[in-house]
Amino acid sequence: MSVTSYSERPTTRTDESSALSVPWSRPHPKRRGISARAVSAITILAVLAAWALSARLQLVSPVFLPSPIAVWTKFVVVARDGFVDATLAQHVVASLGRVFAALVAAVLVGVPVGLAIGISTIGRGIFDPLLEFLRPIPPLAYLPLVIIWFGIGEPSKILVITIAMLAPVALSTASGVRGVSQERINAARSLGATRAQLVRHVILPSALPSILTGLRIALGAGWSTLVAAELVAATRGLGFMIQSAAQFLVTDVVVMGILVIATIAFVLEFVIRRIERRLVPWAGRD
Amino acid sequence: MPQLVLDKISVHYDGQAAPAVERVSIAVAEGDFVVLVGRSGCGKTSLLNVAAGLVEPARGSASIGGRPITAPGPDRAVVFQNDALFPWLTARENVAFALRLRGVPSGERARRADSLLKLVKLDGAGDKRIWELSGGMRQRVGLARALAAEPEFLLLDEPLGALDALTRERMQTTLLDLWAASRVGVLMVTHGIEEALVLATRIVVLAPGPGRAVRTFETGFSRRYAAGEAIRTIKADPAFAAARGELTDAIFEGEAA
Repeated sequence: MSVTSYSERPTTRTDESSALSVPWSRPHPKRRGISARAVSAITILAVLAAWALSARLQLVSPVFLPSPIAVWTKFVVVARDGFVDATLAQHVVASLGRVFAALVAAVLVGVPVGLAIGISTIGRGIFDPLLEFLRPIPPLAYLPLVIIWFGIGEPSKILVITIAMLAPVALSTASGVRGVSQERINAARSLGATRAQLVRHVILPSALPSILTGLRIALGAGWSTLVAAELVAATRGLGFMIQSAAQFLVTDVVVMGILVIATIAFVLEFVIRRIERRLVPWAGRD
Repeated sequence: MPQLVLDKISVHYDGQAAPAVERVSIAVAEGDFVVLVGRSGCGKTSLLNVAAGLVEPARGSASIGGRPITAPGPDRAVVFQNDALFPWLTARENVAFALRLRGVPSGERARRADSLLKLVKLDGAGDKRIWELSGGMRQRVGLARALAAEPEFLLLDEPLGALDALTRERMQTTLLDLWAASRVGVLMVTHGIEEALVLATRIVVLAPGPGRAVRTFETGFSRRYAAGEAIRTIKADPAFAAARGELTDAIFEGEAA
């Protein structure tokens, strides 16, 4: 594949490329392309193979890099018997619960804030600088402050994730609101819409595609913050599981936890895309 | 019988040196079909937006039946060039939008929306999504949506501007049928000279820099159509060709002045 694609490039370079003596052929119109998806699958298999091989040849100590089989075995064991007093399912539920609680909170606060930024000058004046202040701070930086203020209970963990999710939700909502076409608003007004009706029946639905994009970004941010949030005296959760495993150098659990987090994030992304297609089938078509 | 009156309207946009419209007066009575023509920048759309209540005039007064126009309202429904339909609603729900705002129950809403869709010759398209409709169908939905508000006046901002010639001609007769059946007062903006002649009872020619009215024509072709004459016969009439020449001259004279 890569060799033939060289041939499509009319090159004038002389030194190295002519030394390669790539045959110059016209691109065949019926040549079968290989799909990006297939390349991705091959890449993943190659990484797995390299991983398995290096573990098999004991290139690295299993403490640093356990074999894929060891990780899989650990997955089965932890799923059945649990790790640090909770089964894998309980860890997953604890983490998902926190992320979703935070998502709900971020939507309840972020969407109205974004709406205020988008439709009112005063709203923009109030919330824009606050969000711009909050947005670039890494969660680990405000974590200690949240603990000092709210203690080490469940609310603190959810709050930390919520803060990380707030900016993407609010800013996407605001940009969606600002993008509503003036003509659409004028049409609704001339049909007799009040200001409140305008927001409910025109502005929010128009901004929905953008809001959903915000949710997707927020979920990503939420997952990244999860481990940090669960550093704080948690007794359950994927982040907590990885942390405790790391303290005892149980590397296979660490790797397993990472893979579980990645898989869940992947599934969530997929689900949200499906929801987007269901809820806003018009996106990009109007 | 309420009249839509624009009296010595001037429109001045922020940050622009010259006014967009200067001292233009137009009156639209029930049953009138007033068409504003003129080249780009002559303030046609500005005037329409003043009537719609979307633009505040710098000077002059706009009123309906003596009540000053201060905001948009369903007594003057607007149809825009880019249909401005709501893509998250079906065609039927778009048409019923004004009724929903008024709290009309959903069964009644659907019934009235369907009869309006029938009126604009879109029967059976009620469940269609907006992106499934062609440009002409979209404009029909836009028209039905405006009519659902039961307006005293229809304000049409180049609603046929983006359509191909054949669709455009069909839409013109649909417009005339609706107008003749309801006797609603229409104020319309167009670039099309023939379109103006076919539709109007009165044509106001505007000239740019700053936008002002240069000529007014009273025309009778649309009334002939309403009286039952075929559109083809009307267009073939030598009087139609003569009127087109005269109107074209008026537009270009305004340009030169």
